[in-house]
Order: sequence, then C-alpha cells, then structure tokens
Amino acid sequence: MLIINHISKIYNAGSDDEVRALQDVSVEVKKGEFLVVVGTNGSGKSTLLNLILGTILPTAGSVSIDGKTISHLPEHRRSPWVSMVFQNPANGTAPDLSIVENFRLAALRTGKKGLGIGNNKKFRQLVKEKVAALGMGLENKIDQSIGSLSGGQRQALTLLMGVMDKTSVLLMDEPTAALDPKSAKVVMELAEQINREMGITIILITHSMKDALQYGDRLIMFDAGKIVKDLNKDAKQSLTITELLEWFT
Amino acid sequence: MIQFYLTALQMALCLAPMAMGIFITMKVFNIPDITTDGSYTLGAAITAIMLTGGLPVSLALPACMLSGALAGTCTGIIHTKLKIDALLSGILVMTALYSINLIILGRSNIPLINTASIFIKSDWLGSELNGQLLTALTFVGIILTLLIYLLRTDFGIAMRASGNNPVMTKALGVNNDSIRITGLAVSNSLTGLSGFLVAQYQGFTDINMGIGIVITGLGSVLVADAIKQWFNVKKIGRQIMLVVIGCTVFQAVLAFTLSIGIDPNLLKLITATFVLLIVALPRLTAFTKHK
Ligand SMILES: Nc1ncnc2c1ncn2[C@@H]1O[C@H](COP(=O)(O)OP(=O)(O)OP(=O)(O)O)[C@@H](O)[C@H]1O
Ligand SMILES: [Mg+2]
Repeated sequence: MLIINHISKIYNAGSDDEVRALQDVSVEVKKGEFLVVVGTNGSGKSTLLNLILGTILPTAGSVSIDGKTISHLPEHRRSPWVSMVFQNPANGTAPDLSIVENFRLAALRTGKKGLGIGNNKKFRQLVKEKVAALGMGLENKIDQSIGSLSGGQRQALTLLMGVMDKTSVLLMDEPTAALDPKSAKVVMELAEQINREMGITIILITHSMKDALQYGDRLIMFDAGKIVKDLNKDAKQSLTITELLEWFT
Repeated sequence: MIQFYLTALQMALCLAPMAMGIFITMKVFNIPDITTDGSYTLGAAITAIMLTGGLPVSLALPACMLSGALAGTCTGIIHTKLKIDALLSGILVMTALYSINLIILGRSNIPLINTASIFIKSDWLGSELNGQLLTALTFVGIILTLLIYLLRTDFGIAMRASGNNPVMTKALGVNNDSIRITGLAVSNSLTGLSGFLVAQYQGFTDINMGIGIVITGLGSVLVADAIKQWFNVKKIGRQIMLVVIGCTVFQAVLAFTLSIGIDPNLLKLITATFVLLIVALPRLTAFTKHK
C-alpha cells in the first residue's frame, strides 16, 4: 500500500516565482491497484510522481510504501520500492550500452552492482525470453546498443526493465506520449499485463483520454495542485469520454 | 633507427596505463579530469624516494597506485560533494600536488641509478631494451585484462551507464557520486602506475615531468576514438585495447618528428598541434561534406 500523507510541494518558496505545485494532497493506493492520473498541464501530476521517486523532496507531508516512510530517503535508496518509466524513453536507458547490459542493470536495481560477471549465458537467455514476448523481434539483437532502437521499442523495453527486479510500485509519467498509436498500444497492454500477472501497483499519468478510460481500475484528476476527482472501478467503467472531457472545461 | 622506434614503443607502453585511465574518466564517465599531471609525478616521486631509500619495487608499486587513487578520490570528492566543475576540481588537486610532490622529492630532480628496478636489466633477451619491453608489455597486459574484466562486471556496467545516462542510473539505485569517485580513483591509480614505470625507465624523477602529460593521454584516447570510428568498434574491451594502440601511434608520431630533426624544445607545441589535428580533422571533413 502506498500512502501519500498531506503532501505539499512549493517550488522556489519565498521568491517571486513561487509555485504551489501540490497543496495538501492525500491519497491511498492499494497494493496491486492500477491508478490512472489525469489533469491539465501544470496541475502537479509529475510533481507527485517525482516526490514518490525521490528526485524532489516534499515541502510538507510524507510518502510511505508498505509501511515504510520513504519521503526522506535519497532517490537511489528508494529503489527497493519504486521503479519509474519516464516519458522520454531516452531517460530510462543508457543509449551506448547494449540491450542486455541495460537489462542487467535493471535486474540489479535493488541489488549490489558487484564485481562478478552477471551478464552471463543464463542471464542472456532470460533477457531473450522476456524480449521475445514483446513480439518485436528484438531477441536476436540483445547485443545491439539500445540507443539504436526506435522510441517505441525502447519504451517497451524500459517497461520490461522496470520490473526486472522486485518493486512495489511502478510509476509511469506519460509513457506513450512520444509513441505512435501502435507502439503505444503495445506499451499499455504490457503495463496491464504486468499489473495483472505480477500484482505490481501502477500509477500512470496520461493525457490520452482513451487510455484513461480503457486501462486501470481507478481514475483521479488533478487541478491546481489538488485532487478534484477520484473514481473507483465501477464509476470509472460507466464514465464516457464526453463526461471525462467535460472535467477539463 | 629501429631502436629509435622501439624506444618510442617502450615509452608508449609505460604511458599506456595512464591513457587507459584517461579513457575511463573521459569516455566512460564523461569527466574531463586533469588531475593526471599531478598524480603522474606523484607516482614517479614516490617511486624515486622509496627506491633510493632502498625499499623494494614490490612496495613502491602499490604505494604509487594507492597515492594516485587518493589523488583521484580528492578530485572526485571536490567534484561531486562540493559540486565544483570537474575541470576545476582537477586543476585544484593538480596544483596542490605540485607542492606535495616537491615535498616528497625534497628537490626538483632525483636520479635513479643503481637502484632496484622493475625492468629486467640483463640482456638475456638479446638487448636490454627487449627485457624492458617485455616487462612493460606484461604490465600493460595485466592492466588491460583487469580493466576489460572490470568493465564487463555488474559494477563496470553501472560505471558505464552512469557516465552515459546518470538520470537512469540514479533511478536504478546507483549512487552516481560514489561511482564517479571510484572511477577517478581507478583512473589516477593507473596514472600513478605510469609515473612508477616511467621514472624507472628513464632513470630519474623530475618535478616537471608531469607537465602536459594529460595531453599525451588525451591524444592517445582521441587516436583510439578515431580508429574506433573507422572500424566501427563497439565492444568496450576492444575499445580499451585501441587506447594502447592509440598511445603507441601517438608516441611513434612524436618519435618521428624528433627523428627528422625538429628541436626537442618544440615537442609540447607539436604534441598540442597533433592533438588539435586529431580533434579537428573529423570536423573539417564533415564541414566539407556539408558543402
Ligand atoms: N523544478 C521546478 N521548478 C519550478 N517550478 C516547477 C518545477 N517543476 C514543476 N514546476 C511547476 O509546478 C507546477 C506543476 O508541474 P508538474 O510538472 O507537476 O505538472 P504536470 O501536471 O505534470 O503537467 P504536464 O501535464 O504538463 O506534464 C507547474 O506550474 C510547473 O511549472
Ligand atoms: Mg508532467
């Protein structure tokens, strides 16, 4: 369970360009839940995810996962609980390293990066199997630099990488924004599969109203740093795209 | 004549560890580190003082590498913890090391004659130089093997990824700061090793021997980079091997310029010009292609 407890975030506090990005936000996300987050530009969605990931620290309030308060930890120490898929696939991969090397690092997200050769036959086989399941034909290219792949291919791989090692929560900040519809579909279905089969909690930010309706089992909306709507699975299912669009007017 | 180029090869092999160190900071971590000038002389100074003091080579070697690592750690801490530009951090440590090296040496030059030496002195391989070449070759071989191994380990992958995309590695639980500090330590310990080798090879340690040595390392890495691009070398292990080749090419070019009778005082000018050429050439050709 992920608990956001009275979180506030003020950027540039006290100066002229002070921004109250989040104002006393509280929300509980159950284990295994697939939470979809929508909201206008600048409403604070990314800020919330970054607070959970640890790239920024809250001005007030706390974040806890599975009973452990993590909001004071530096980013690299939160890896046992949190994994992130960035909007730009380039952010989530080391372009000059090969596919299998990227996966190796992802598999060690919570573990020790030691002086053994972990990129061995067995591991390569595992990566081949995982990658083959994407149906993109990448299983024979695992020694190719990941930067040479298309954005869609890379994003699908980052998603797989995100769950190579144990994690409670998978954060996705507009993971399909840079992808064509077909690749976007692959990524979203993969997310759904990960959520269902592995029981990993997912928080997905999206500007695609279609995706917001089609995927996930809870929908919240941000506006001006606050949660203004919170729909459970049933309410979400009966929501139409016209109704959803009206929220933004 | 052949002897002349063999001497250049010998020098190249002695400098190769330093060049590999520069490869690590510059190519793996994307950090421009110029602590090198200082940590190179540091290695040579410690070698001189220990060997003239009658201590064995087997003690001087780890001492040189450890002190180089310490220098690199200082640069790393200044760079990551105090958030000071890597170039400036390197300059600071390098400058401080000049005084430290003077203190260690006690004077500006210490000859190493009739002291213990890592190099096989006998001419059992035909000539003295052959024995020296063999020693240097063994060293380079060992360092090369260790480095290739290191870069293939999980830690090595983390090193390379953190230089390539620090945003990603941070999210993957890598402490970018400490891995950078480690990288600088490894790199400068290799530089210290070069100082150790060169001091014994040339038979003296001079307080000014490190001035501009970073350019030699940089040049070697750039030559390696050019070869890498021509032949599209992807494997990291092969790229490191290319650095040794780059170092050899670099020394050969310098030897050639000297052999055609150019004033040795112009050596640094020639070195700098050569490096400039390697950097500029690809850009110039790209420019003409665009037209
Ligand atoms: N590093 C920062 N420094 C100052 N202000 C920031 C910073 N990051 C975000 N903000 C501001 O905080 C507010 C919330 O930004 P945030 O990125 O969370 O919005 P968002 O909901 O993710 O928007 P979008 O849909 O455009 O991605 C915005 O007004 C933004 O300008
Ligand atoms: Mg955003």
